[in-house]
Amino acid sequence: MDVAKYAALFISESREHLQAMNQLLLAWEREPQATAPVEGLFRAIHSIKGMAATMGFTPLADLAHRGENLLDAVRAGKFAVKTEHFELLFRTVDALEAGVAASAAGKPLPREGDALVKALDAAVRRGGKGGEAGEGGKRGGRKISGKGGKEAVEDQAEPSTPDPRPSATGPLLDIRVVIHPGAMLKGARALLALRKAEAIGEVSRVRPQAGEFEREDFDGKVAFRLRTSAAPAEVDAAIRSAGDVASVGIDLASDEQVVDASALRQIRIDLGRLDALMKLAGELVVARNRLLDLARDAGDPELIQLGERISRLVGAVQGEVLEARLTPVREVFERFPRVARDLARDLGKQVRLELEGGEIELDRAVLDEIADPLVHLVRNAIDHGIELPRDRARAGKPAEGLVRLTALREKNSVAIRISDDGRGIDRSRILGKAKAEGLVDLGATTLTDEQLLRVLSRSGFSTAAVVSDVSGRGVGVDVVMTRIRSLGGSVELESNPGHGTTFVLRVPLTLAIVRSMLVQVGAERYVVPLTYVSETLEFTSLPATSLGQREALMVRDRAVPITHLATLFGTEGAVDGQRRRPVVLLQVGERRGALVVDALLGQQEIVVEPFEAPVGMPGWFGGATILPDGTPALILDAAALV
Amino acid sequence: MGHSVLVCDDAIFMRTMIADILASAGYDVVGEAETGAQAVEKYKQLKPDLVTMDIVMPDMGGIDAVREICKGDPDAKILMCSAMGQQALVVEAIQAGAKDFVVKPFQPSRVLEAVQRVLG
Repeated sequence: MDVAKYAALFISESREHLQAMNQLLLAWEREPQATAPVEGLFRAIHSIKGMAATMGFTPLADLAHRGENLLDAVRAGKFAVKTEHFELLFRTVDALEAGVAASAAGKPLPREGDALVKALDAAVRRGGKGGEAGEGGKRGGRKISGKGGKEAVEDQAEPSTPDPRPSATGPLLDIRVVIHPGAMLKGARALLALRKAEAIGEVSRVRPQAGEFEREDFDGKVAFRLRTSAAPAEVDAAIRSAGDVASVGIDLASDEQVVDASALRQIRIDLGRLDALMKLAGELVVARNRLLDLARDAGDPELIQLGERISRLVGAVQGEVLEARLTPVREVFERFPRVARDLARDLGKQVRLELEGGEIELDRAVLDEIADPLVHLVRNAIDHGIELPRDRARAGKPAEGLVRLTALREKNSVAIRISDDGRGIDRSRILGKAKAEGLVDLGATTLTDEQLLRVLSRSGFSTAAVVSDVSGRGVGVDVVMTRIRSLGGSVELESNPGHGTTFVLRVPLTLAIVRSMLVQVGAERYVVPLTYVSETLEFTSLPATSLGQREALMVRDRAVPITHLATLFGTEGAVDGQRRRPVVLLQVGERRGALVVDALLGQQEIVVEPFEAPVGMPGWFGGATILPDGTPALILDAAALV
Repeated sequence: MGHSVLVCDDAIFMRTMIADILASAGYDVVGEAETGAQAVEKYKQLKPDLVTMDIVMPDMGGIDAVREICKGDPDAKILMCSAMGQQALVVEAIQAGAKDFVVKPFQPSRVLEAVQRVLG
């Protein structure tokens, strides 16, 4: 049998198992008496062994086999798990990970493999002999007092509890809610129904996606899973209390076993295929827009009707493809407990990592792009933010530092916050450096958060006082900033001395299709992504003022700085003397800006085309697109303009 | 005495109408606000059982006002008053903490139903 064609599947499935093993090891380490993790670990490593053997990757299968032996011995109660076992198993997972990639590439196992095999064998041989005394005390440096042995182990179980959500008990239910067809704003109503359900249990697998609720044509049907101890009648009553609910369907969800069976109906698709499909769907959208234009011009009612029908179908296709690409951010978040643990241990720090909003979904491509920046910021937080335990004690803080990652769905974007309760960024030092490099006025005495971010995101500017092994090599916020901006996202920073630092990354839900506003400046048309458009106004209707050196508009008692695009693009005079120009108000996080344009041309879904900015291209363009009539247009980068 | 209500809308017409609907059903309209900022201020001052909140108001819109009020009192009972075609805004308001909504043009019975739902 030619197994080569299964290599991709082997890699992806092994990685899933290894990812799971990391999670299980972390859970087990926190709670060494627990039996569930060791069972899961055993199953996972056993699967990897079987797959590796089938693929003919004998050394890899052998390594997995030795790991399995150790787990089997603990599982069978031959001896209790010890601190050094966790270390060994973590290393085994790492070695398997490297080994999977190497084997698939036809390379030998990395050198560490042999040593690990020996160490694993030795651990099984030694078994319960020796090594228990004081183990708890040596562990993880997380403990504050000098308690030893068992007590300490119980102590360690604590950190596993602060799960932000109360874990609901009771059966898992499949719920289908239909909002009354005559009801207004069905999406908002459906969201209320969802809120009612959340009040009595744990909601998951919500369909449709959150963004659908905002659509005016939302059909009022929402389905989700609910784990609750409430009786069906109570569930029904709770959901109906949202008002305008036509029906509530409640079924016992198929249990885990059956869920596994239904998984058989899933297939794995190469992401490249989905990319291709997405691109085709995108082109279909452009063609549809063109068709609608032609149909309207022709004024043929039948043609218009057909055009609209095609339009709906294309919308549905696009929605399905988008949906298929959505991936919960959990997939990236799951890497962090391990990263945090290893780094904290290396640095002698105590760090608790809290993850929230792992269920929020993002386009796979966006998620892949933000993974590295997130890892970077988490490492930064632990390395530079969180202080050593004794410094924290001196500052009156708990010895254990907190790093929190939160994903939050906003209108058309997802915000990911990375915050720590550490020492904050030392502004005075940055200020000195910034002055030395001429980035701020020499007379400046302080830096705002915004200035701070601007200075930090200068290429090569490092936040580290001492260049550490971890993150201070001069590659830092600038890389994060560049990556996020290239996605059409934005970065915000807030840092308080002594209290910690928070980064907020905002990224669009998907990269491929962007709802946009088309504007005209001079003879050219430009695209402004709607994600950042808060409203449109007329220039002359607003009182003018100034903000520092800049011209500004008063919008509801707030001064918003103005950018005249015609001046910026050097097309002044192309449209002569027209005073009543439209203004597009942009909001990127807390920042606002007003763009004065020559005309608003309406909303449009546009397909972002790959875009290599020519050298010397100003930074305020974030991409390009082809408009329905076939002409190209540049996409404005809102974050660069406010 | 019925539940106390704070009515927030920038149009006197709407405020009067909502206040009349509520008063006729025995609710006690204890205050009115015509901007979001006023709504936040009066909420702190009056601690009403219920707030009706217009979405589009000058000086802090209704959604920001909901956010502000819920920051101080997560249990605040706020009923959004929206127009047709404001689905996305209402969704945002609910995410910000609003408990229910009614859609203009108002039918008194719908308003009262929603008020009862919110007051639970």
